[in-house]
Amino acid sequence: MSTEEQSPPTAAASRFAFNEDWAATLLGLLLLGLVLVGAIPAGLVP
Amino acid sequence: MSADTTRTGADAPVGPADAAGRDVPADRDVPADRDVPAGRDVPAGRDVPVAPADPAEARGVRWAWVGLGALLLLALAALTRYLEQQVPALAEGTALEDVAKAVEYPVYAILLGLLGNAVVTLLGWRDRLAAAFRTEFLIKTGLVLLGASINLAVIGSAAGPAIAQAILLISGVFLFTWWLAGRFGLEDKLRALLASAVSICGVSAAIAAAGAVRARREQLAYTASLVILFALPSIFLLPWLADVLGLSNEVAGAWIGGNIDTTAAVTAAGALAGEEALQIASIVKVTQNALMGIVAVALTAYFTLRVERRPGAARPGVGELWRRFPKFVLGFVAASVIATWYLDTAGADGKATIAIVNDLRVWFLILAFVSIGLEVRVASLREAGWRPIAVFASATVFNLLLALALATLLFRNVTA
Repeated sequence: MSTEEQSPPTAAASRFAFNEDWAATLLGLLLLGLVLVGAIPAGLVP
Repeated sequence: MSADTTRTGADAPVGPADAAGRDVPADRDVPADRDVPAGRDVPAGRDVPVAPADPAEARGVRWAWVGLGALLLLALAALTRYLEQQVPALAEGTALEDVAKAVEYPVYAILLGLLGNAVVTLLGWRDRLAAAFRTEFLIKTGLVLLGASINLAVIGSAAGPAIAQAILLISGVFLFTWWLAGRFGLEDKLRALLASAVSICGVSAAIAAAGAVRARREQLAYTASLVILFALPSIFLLPWLADVLGLSNEVAGAWIGGNIDTTAAVTAAGALAGEEALQIASIVKVTQNALMGIVAVALTAYFTLRVERRPGAARPGVGELWRRFPKFVLGFVAASVIATWYLDTAGADGKATIAIVNDLRVWFLILAFVSIGLEVRVASLREAGWRPIAVFASATVFNLLLALALATLLFRNVTA
């Protein structure tokens, strides 16, 4: 039995990891934008 | 829940190799069609869920567990925030006053995460909840928000030394770890994963390297566990050692950023060392993250053309470099540019607004640190044996010393 049959190799590139990268970037910048335009006031963040 | 369970056999026929390159039972690994996220192996003898026959029902069950995991994460983060804010006030005037003031949110978050980990492991729930513990996503969002608290001028002054340190450190530590792992007789793919994890940025680098060399899932899970196991004590040890050695905030930050493997732990240690150290540590670590794409492409080329010698395989091009570039680095710099511009135009009022961003950042970091505690897996470490641990420990010591020398040399004139 080959190693490949034992356990699949990880994908040549982990697309999920890189989508997670974009998601973190967009969420971080979105939150920053919302704070700067006053949509998230100080009282909303405990 | 209608999820049945099946048992992976511990005393099954012997397969070819485990994470450390030793023989293992043939049916211990996760089959290709099993619904286990990459990077999360299933130890021998552990009950694992089998998806219900109806795909819609299976999806519903999976999402219910993810929701429960997210609730647990949020509850522990809220408790961390409560303890961080209330304990110093409650301890005021008592013998524990100084200790209570010194204990900051990374400590509560990691300890509560470890406690939660023990409880869900005892209940047999951890593998089902694990999909909600997105440490990498949470820390990257926290780092983008952290960019807003760093003036662009600081990034400008620290970028040169950070790039120089990253190139020297990654090259030196990667080659040392690769060589040492070879001396210990570890398999090439595991050598690549360990060397990438120690030299670049822990779990993210291990994921990138695993994709580049097509490593097995249990090798990735094992490397990720080693990263977290070594990062946890470093979070507390390095700020303390920096203090003992009398390092400046900037040098301490560069040392922490260059030495601790995983980005989340760098941020935790930086937060304990102080705001200036945190800023420099994050710049250094983000720079290392940015170089991850280059190492991943080099590994892809090396394994395709030299180790596996796949016939007709093409050399990876510039497009591959961009695909593997960690995009949150752009968010980090963009946040710094936006916040620097905002503070220049808004004047004194701007600081109060950026303080709200800082509070949001602390929330994401708390969530990430709780998630670290929840993700620790001792089982996969026990299975792999002592050799990879010895390699990882030696490489960490080498990294510690080289990073200290480089940080002292390159960051002595940098001001945060």
